[in-house]
Amino acid sequence: MRSALRDLPSRLRLHRLLPVLSIAVAAGAVAAAVASPQMPLQDWGILLVFAVVIAVGEVNRIVLPGGRETAPMSLAAGYALAMTWEVGETHRVEFTAGVVVAVTTVGMLAGAVPALLRRSPVRADDLAARFLSVAVAAILFRHVVVWDGQPLLTLQESWSSTRWVTAISMVLVSGIALFVQAFCVALATASRDHRPFWRSLVDEVRQGAGLGAALAASGTLIALAERPMGVVALPVFLIPLVLTQFAIRRYAGIRETYGQTIRALSRLTEIGGYTRRDHPARVAALSVAMGRDLGMSDRDTLDLEYAALLHDIGQVALREPIPGGATMMAAPADQDRIARDGAGIVRQTGVLDNVAVILESQSKPYRQVRELGEDLPLASRIIKVANAYDDLVGEARARRARKHASAIERIHLGLGYEYDPRVVEALIRVLDRRAAVVGAG
Amino acid sequence: MSKAGAAREPSSSRAVPLYIAATTLVAVAVVTVSWVLHIGPPVEWAAVVTMLILGLLSSVFRERDVGSNITFSFLSIIIISSAVLIGPVGSALVGALSMGLERGKRSAEARIFNASMVALQGAVGGLVYAALGADLDSVTGAGDLLLRVGLPLMVADVVQMLINALLLAGIVRLSSGTPPRRFLVQMITNSGVAYIGYGIIGFLFVILWGPADVGWFSAVLILAPLYVARWALVQYGEEQRAHERTLSALVTAVETKDPSAAGHSGRIAALAEWMAEPLSMGTQDVQALVYAAMLHDVGKVGVPTRLLRRPRTWTPADVEALTHHSALGVVLVREIEFLNGSLAGIRHHHERWDGLGYPDGLAGDEIPLISRVIAVADAFDALTTDRAERPAFAPQQALRQIEQRRGRQFDPHVVGALATVLERHDWPITSADEDELDRMRGYLDHDDPIAWEQVWATTPPLRPAVSGPGPTPHPVADEPSPPHPAAGNADDVPVAEQVRAP
Repeated sequence: MRSALRDLPSRLRLHRLLPVLSIAVAAGAVAAAVASPQMPLQDWGILLVFAVVIAVGEVNRIVLPGGRETAPMSLAAGYALAMTWEVGETHRVEFTAGVVVAVTTVGMLAGAVPALLRRSPVRADDLAARFLSVAVAAILFRHVVVWDGQPLLTLQESWSSTRWVTAISMVLVSGIALFVQAFCVALATASRDHRPFWRSLVDEVRQGAGLGAALAASGTLIALAERPMGVVALPVFLIPLVLTQFAIRRYAGIRETYGQTIRALSRLTEIGGYTRRDHPARVAALSVAMGRDLGMSDRDTLDLEYAALLHDIGQVALREPIPGGATMMAAPADQDRIARDGAGIVRQTGVLDNVAVILESQSKPYRQVRELGEDLPLASRIIKVANAYDDLVGEARARRARKHASAIERIHLGLGYEYDPRVVEALIRVLDRRAAVVGAG
Repeated sequence: MSKAGAAREPSSSRAVPLYIAATTLVAVAVVTVSWVLHIGPPVEWAAVVTMLILGLLSSVFRERDVGSNITFSFLSIIIISSAVLIGPVGSALVGALSMGLERGKRSAEARIFNASMVALQGAVGGLVYAALGADLDSVTGAGDLLLRVGLPLMVADVVQMLINALLLAGIVRLSSGTPPRRFLVQMITNSGVAYIGYGIIGFLFVILWGPADVGWFSAVLILAPLYVARWALVQYGEEQRAHERTLSALVTAVETKDPSAAGHSGRIAALAEWMAEPLSMGTQDVQALVYAAMLHDVGKVGVPTRLLRRPRTWTPADVEALTHHSALGVVLVREIEFLNGSLAGIRHHHERWDGLGYPDGLAGDEIPLISRVIAVADAFDALTTDRAERPAFAPQQALRQIEQRRGRQFDPHVVGALATVLERHDWPITSADEDELDRMRGYLDHDDPIAWEQVWATTPPLRPAVSGPGPTPHPVADEPSPPHPAAGNADDVPVAEQVRAP
């Protein structure tokens, strides 16, 4: 029952469903916008500026540390549009949420065009999450009755002497919209990566909190500054957010570089002839899939990935390579020494202590948990199983199916004694999914 | 004010206290005159208190180093905004109290000087705006806001920057004798752009506070994105440091394998960086050079361990296996994007000026400059290291050895750079104790030109094989793959002439 519920997002293919839902919402909004009463010319101008800025924001997407894509400027402009009321001291806009959503649709689609022309993929589920989030903000602000039979939009008039109340209400609306975005993204990742939904949501909220605060503040800033400054407020008040975006981009860039360096380190053993080709990379990919399946947080998954990449680095200190590089076949004492040497090399960096801890325990059998009550990190148990599987299957492309079956059989022999049964179950789930993908393709 | 504000502990000469007293007097005088003449908007105490709270909070954010040469000064933003919103007296008060009550240890002198300086900045900024700018209640529309508020605010901002730079130049001149003009130029180029940024953010703050009627809450809205930016930059700095450490782990891993070369990479990275100066290399090239020097021998990890530790004999196959290390190093690090500029440097660091080197047999200017520099530094460090068969050469002797090979093995121009560097810097030889020497017995240092020439001269059949297209190890599928170096077993190779290691 539990696992049936867990697999629900994947079964429903929610990451495919989100874009479909967005298209439906967009179509409805465009229809509503066309049917809505004539707008004055000035409003058309304002909407045009917003559409352009949203498109520019979409072109300047950034990749967050951890790999997810977002478009801060587009989102902030979208929220600001959703909450726009007075533009200039005397002019009040009259458009509905339908118009806001229609303009957002135009802007976001236009912003996706350059990427499509370059044939670089546009992540439809992330785009859909952004779009739905702006739609929620527009409906919340313009149509949901909150007080005295009025929505926030018209309540602003009675709050004109205490504008900070307006500001706080705007921050709250943006906050809710951002949560909706995190919720959609979490659904999509849970569905795509087969992770528990709750874990994805917690990660999404935790990682998005910083940028989210900047986004909510910027949307509010623009909406408030439109009264004295007119629509010029939009580009001008995006400046603080541009700084934020610049800083986050640098942060994400160094994280990427860091990953590349770790991958280079992982190839030391390969080039030294100690391990088979791409062994560390394969073990890392398998370990990460298993870690996600077991509901590890993003931060722990990153440590797991690095540890899996570096799990054989202790072999560099060996005088002669182990045949085939398969530590699984080595004597337990040698396995322990390789694990310790590897942890030593990694510990020397002074910054990868979490990874060193994982490496130290990677050769320890699971029974130490049961019999001695020792606390083996989950990541170590995962790497032990993934490494054993890769060593057993080997590189042989032919007879792969038979090799796979006998590898699983051998791992089953060590179940509970050598390997953690829960981790082995995760391995089997991950491999079944891979087989399904290969079979379908 | 991060870089700008904090005067270091001044020396005890009498000029410094006098200078500080004068600064304080001027600040007090300017504030008093403004107060008596009612210049600027009437002082609203609620606004002053809000700004003061923000100013004090900003000192909390100042403590941690942001790194990467980017400094954020929240206090500068608050002072320029106060100058417009609460006038010269109010902003002087905010500045003086924020600096005076700052947390952390500072001498009374430094505290007083900083407080007076920031107060003076606030007061003069306020006066400038009062003279040039418009009353905030009277402006409407974007054009008016930009011209009658934004422009005067930027002028006040520049004046504040100049006051900061001038006063600091004065105190630095008095306490440490640094020429004020050079200091001024440096200050203005370093913090000029940042001050423009503070001015722009201050302008947004002012609009939101005044014309948009948001009041104190605008501080939260404006500072939130900036705080997030600062947070991301702190993370960036930490990750960058972590990355540097991890990169050096690459080097450490190789040194685990080849203990006789311990410390070699770090030393030649330092030497190469010095040599870049007389060669007038650009900043980017120097970066690439230093990384290439750090990592030039990482490919040794693909050389069989028995060759790196005391081989009894050297067969041509062994020598060839050793020469693969420069190309293997590239294979190892080529997926690290920021090292792209260093790859050629690593690959060609054993090419010779006369074209007889490896792996590609390039000659003269065909060899990348980075490689030519590394080649000289590499050989120099090898010569100045104690080995079992000979003591280390003194730096001048080692230089003579290198000069003898100028135009044959080494680029004459780069050898000249080495000579220049040795006039400017001391170079300690790397000595080894008895135990270490004993462990090194039989070790062939491939960077040592004398030792290498002996091996090279006695293995003639090797040359064509080595000078051909470079070796590629097995992990690369898209290129023809010769036998993996680790698989090359010396015992099966017909031994043309066995060479005793020198």
